[in-house]
Amino acid sequence: MTDLTIAIAKGRLQAEAFELLAHAGLRVSSDALSSRRLILEDEAGCCRFIPVKPSDVPVYVEHGIADCGIVGRDVLLESEADVLQPLALEIGRCRVAVAARAGISLDGLGVVRVATKYPRIAAEHFGARGIPVELIELSGSVELAPLLGLADCIVDLVETGRTLSENGLAMLEVITESTARLIVNRASYQLKAGPISQLISSLKEKSI
Amino acid sequence: MSEALSQIPGGLRYYFGREARLRRSIEDTAMSVLDGWSYEEITTPTVDYYSLFDRAMGHSESHHAFRFTDTDGRLLALRPDVTSAVARAAATLFASSERPLRLCYAASVFRQQPRTRAEWRRELTQIGCELTGANTLAADVELLVIASEILDRLGLGEDFVITLNDVEIFNGVAANLELDASARDEMRQLIDARDAVELERFLTPHASAGDRRAFVRLTQLAGKRDTLDKARGVITNPRSVNGLDHLESLWRVIESLGLADHFEIDLGDVSRLDYYTGLTFKVYVAGAGARIGSGGRYDALTAKFGKAEPAIGFVLDLEALADLLVVRKRDLGSIRAPQREASRVSNDDPALLFQEAMNRRAEDARIRVCM
Repeated sequence: MTDLTIAIAKGRLQAEAFELLAHAGLRVSSDALSSRRLILEDEAGCCRFIPVKPSDVPVYVEHGIADCGIVGRDVLLESEADVLQPLALEIGRCRVAVAARAGISLDGLGVVRVATKYPRIAAEHFGARGIPVELIELSGSVELAPLLGLADCIVDLVETGRTLSENGLAMLEVITESTARLIVNRASYQLKAGPISQLISSLKEKSI
Repeated sequence: MSEALSQIPGGLRYYFGREARLRRSIEDTAMSVLDGWSYEEITTPTVDYYSLFDRAMGHSESHHAFRFTDTDGRLLALRPDVTSAVARAAATLFASSERPLRLCYAASVFRQQPRTRAEWRRELTQIGCELTGANTLAADVELLVIASEILDRLGLGEDFVITLNDVEIFNGVAANLELDASARDEMRQLIDARDAVELERFLTPHASAGDRRAFVRLTQLAGKRDTLDKARGVITNPRSVNGLDHLESLWRVIESLGLADHFEIDLGDVSRLDYYTGLTFKVYVAGAGARIGSGGRYDALTAKFGKAEPAIGFVLDLEALADLLVVRKRDLGSIRAPQREASRVSNDDPALLFQEAMNRRAEDARIRVCM
């Protein structure tokens, strides 16, 4: 098998991704996983893995430095990277939703102030409904914004909904619900068609 | 307010030294191959009416152009492509020339915003050719064989793949579904991204389970001749079948020429469907993270200039080719870009200095005058 370089989203998704890959025959030793090495190899030596920040996965894949990547769909929608998405994976289920302080409605506001890590997704969602928005881009703890009056609502990732409810916020609308994706560089898809279709079919057995 | 004169606008750069020589060499090699196939060079205006590109390329492509106004108020653009002006020339300047008309070019094109985020450049150099007035299988084959020869002569003969598709295959499928323009484009984008899951979801209100399966298959069908057989199993409408038949005839010729190793059929490649009318193809080379060339048949283009006739062409990206060859640092054989040794000429008397310089130049020596 020709060498494939696969970018993996660090964080919540990373462990599940490596477990999925191990089931598909690409096992990375636990020594390697707990090392400080930036580039990992599977035990058979046929693929390289680069764990990177989620928002960086599409960058590496779009440039072709990584042939493929495993990343959440929220990141993909926000990045609008020009990559192929041939496979949905059963890991990394997430919801991107609009949330605000419980009891608050967004009706009747001339412009809605939205705090979010996903400005593109938010703009697209409200834009499609003809609702003017003022976007406030934050990097983390987005739930704070409506609590402190920085924004009327947030567009954020929701998993169990506990963070929202424990802070007096309520989900108003789900924008999209999805699982993680395998993304593939367009040129690699053609030039390394064999190894990539092999990877896709090995992963498919554990996927949607 | 003053801007630092040392700053260059984003997406633009100088080329110099070995890189400049390499670019010149690549261009010379490609243009000499095109000359070998009797393509005549054409230089089109760098600045042209924006409306030319808007009508020829379609708004989704043309609106990336740099635009400004002429003294009479009309909107101009820095050309974002060359094909539009060549099509206009075919219908006007060359209206009574013999057909098929063979034209080629190597020229800069400009985009105010790059096509993808992995693409940084706003000025690109396209090496391209257009074959106008023939819609035969032979015309399609000629373009593919020329592209292969250029890559071969650049030393990339072992490393390229050209993927083929025919827009009628997708068009036949979409027509059956009776989708409006925006739904059709949404479906096209999902197939283009090979996004089987979203495509299935999108098609649920529009198509039966059987039809949905067929379209989802479109996103996965790529490979050699067997791809066409698999496609025939799931796609049966006459318009699509026509497209499949056409690809099959093309494939047979490619196979008999011994080129099949470098070609693939990719039924999921559905970009720029509003522009192409038949064969479309994309050129990939190992080591480049994006395609380095593309082409196809656009029989509806010249009609916009008052003289409808079939046309097919392709472009190769000079910078992408140069990046590949620079990185490889390989012995480029016929496209090596060496620099000749220069001999120094010096004399305190300018008249004697340049007499000596001109004598040496008459023998075509490379000289460096000392000052």
